[in-house]
Amino acid sequence: MTKIISLVIFHAVFSFTFLPVTDSATSLIETTCKQTPFFNLCVSTLQSDPRSSTADVAGLGHIIADSINGKAPATLNQIKGLLKSATDPNMQKALQSCVDSYNTIVQADIPVAFEAITKGDPKFAVDSAADAANEAQDCEKSFANPPKSPISDSNKNVHDLSVVLESIASLLL
Amino acid sequence: MFYKGWYHFFYQYNPNAAVWGDIVWGHAVSKDLIHWLHLPLAMVADQWYDKNGVWTGSATFLPDGNIVMLYTGSTEEAVQVQNLAYPADPSDPLLIHWVKYPGNPVLVPPPGINKKDFRDPTTAWLTSEGKWRITIGSKINKTGISLVYDTKDFINYEKLDGVLHAVPGTGMWECVDFFPVSKAQENGLDTSVNGPGVKHVVKVSLDDDRHDYYAIGTYHDKNGTWIPDQPGIDVGIGLRYDYGVYYAAKTFYDQNKNRRVLWGWIGESDSEAADMQKGWASVQSIPRTILFDNKTGTHLLQWPVEEIESLRLKINEFNGVRIQTGSVIPLDVGPATQLDVVAEFKIDKEALEKTTGSNETFSCSTSGGAAERGALGPFGLLVLADDSLSEQTPVYFYIAKGSDGNLKTFFCNDQSRSSAASDVNKQIYGSFVPVLKGENLSLRILVDHSIIESFAQGGRTVITSRVYPTKAIYGAARVFLFNNATDASVTATLKIWQMNSAFIRPYPNDEKFLKDLKQM
Repeated sequence: MTKIISLVIFHAVFSFTFLPVTDSATSLIETTCKQTPFFNLCVSTLQSDPRSSTADVAGLGHIIADSINGKAPATLNQIKGLLKSATDPNMQKALQSCVDSYNTIVQADIPVAFEAITKGDPKFAVDSAADAANEAQDCEKSFANPPKSPISDSNKNVHDLSVVLESIASLLL
Repeated sequence: MFYKGWYHFFYQYNPNAAVWGDIVWGHAVSKDLIHWLHLPLAMVADQWYDKNGVWTGSATFLPDGNIVMLYTGSTEEAVQVQNLAYPADPSDPLLIHWVKYPGNPVLVPPPGINKKDFRDPTTAWLTSEGKWRITIGSKINKTGISLVYDTKDFINYEKLDGVLHAVPGTGMWECVDFFPVSKAQENGLDTSVNGPGVKHVVKVSLDDDRHDYYAIGTYHDKNGTWIPDQPGIDVGIGLRYDYGVYYAAKTFYDQNKNRRVLWGWIGESDSEAADMQKGWASVQSIPRTILFDNKTGTHLLQWPVEEIESLRLKINEFNGVRIQTGSVIPLDVGPATQLDVVAEFKIDKEALEKTTGSNETFSCSTSGGAAERGALGPFGLLVLADDSLSEQTPVYFYIAKGSDGNLKTFFCNDQSRSSAASDVNKQIYGSFVPVLKGENLSLRILVDHSIIESFAQGGRTVITSRVYPTKAIYGAARVFLFNNATDASVTATLKIWQMNSAFIRPYPNDEKFLKDLKQM
């Protein structure tokens, strides 16, 4: 009799520890993303990362920072490639300015945001994320029309993700 | 702090980049708060309890003249704790080496307090029971609070049940400062002073908006609480030290000159890309003395320390210059990138009386800046301007007349046309400044290339700005008087000094030099 009872108890405990947590995690993602200006981008970026199912708000911030950390270096490489083959001096100038912007995003803004969220001084993450958004925007603005920006989509993506990061970091203040 | 003949400055420093991170304690010393000598880093992140950052702390002088330092460490698990440190060699006036107490941390976040909301311990003051008392900022949800601890040895602490003070909606309280000011005398007070002629100031740096706020009130030693004189302008919702770029400021009692000195961090207003290219970011303000303004009873007065006057070179005086409505007058002072300006303005009395008031509310930040004309303002100076005025930073007064006939004076800095560059801050900063009956409008401005520190009415309202002109630089920078009011002419009297540069020297690798220094 006692064996069955302990088996039942064991089974119950076992089941509870493996209850799917997606419901509560999804709602944290949703409530967090509702407080950013780019709800859909925020939700899709977070949901595509498995860590988001067990992350707290700081953890969600880390995931967004990681996403920018993937996009920005790739965009930087793209810019450098374009710079190599550019012949129009206006285009060259714009691309060079973008190299500076993206170097800042990759070397300064995102590492600072990461560190600040981890160490519990989120205002530096807010400022850095805001700066990253500005850098992406500065890069886009450096292309007059002509020359047209060859990297509008990437710039918008990095800009919008940075704004999302800024909003999430603000929740930690 | 002032120790054995030297002013010591310990600061948050990133040795690896021109952005925040990897924070350790930088150290510099000075004889006069103006010329500085850099020393080696005082403390680095070499213990588990400060591995993630050697953050803000405060020094306390013990009665025997020794110093104890309490500082926040961010542990290897990013928990915020308080640690004790002291000079390795108290006989070394330069205090180059520091020892961390082996039993650190001495304080960890108490129950109910988030482990990332517990930082920046203050200088300690003596209670009537002869114990040392400190306060540490924190928050509960969105209510900013300051926790209180008593100690006899800086190693063991008892937490008081309540808090020094709390204000809902203000968020995390960083860099809390708590100090007495004399109601009647024009000198500073040691942090432990209390009594009938004394008020206490609580100051906090608000994480939420990156501004420093203060309030004046009464300290109750028995239960370690403080009540503001005017709850309507309680700490965090009322007066600011500075309406521009100024944060994490801290005071210390300077026993050398019997004054309380305030010092703040002036961050950058440019992009981080620019900071990375410059290779540096952030400056300290010129130190300011702090006094209670017994004329208003509600404000503190901040004023650049008198030692700044030792940098004054050539003086230019202008007496009774009349500035008509809608005019700009150049002031010939030579190069205008390093200036000390003392100015007084008298506005046309008739215009003050005749102008019809209105219900409109004015605020520097939502106004159109110096280009927006009102009946009785704006008027003041244009600094870091070029000849063609394509770049200019107006520092000015704006008088608003209410429909009841009452005059309200505002003091602003307008960065909107400060630079042709597009990646710099172009906001308009400022605030209301109390002007009492019989007072003329007075201004002090320290101009230093990209830094403007401006003081209205003897330091009742202060604005610090960072501007980055591209043309109004070095030999091309000018200064002008201006009056953009429609109804009132203004008369100005000014003294403008060219300022020398301060000597800021790196740490010398020279034994004899250091030996001589220590004997100074």
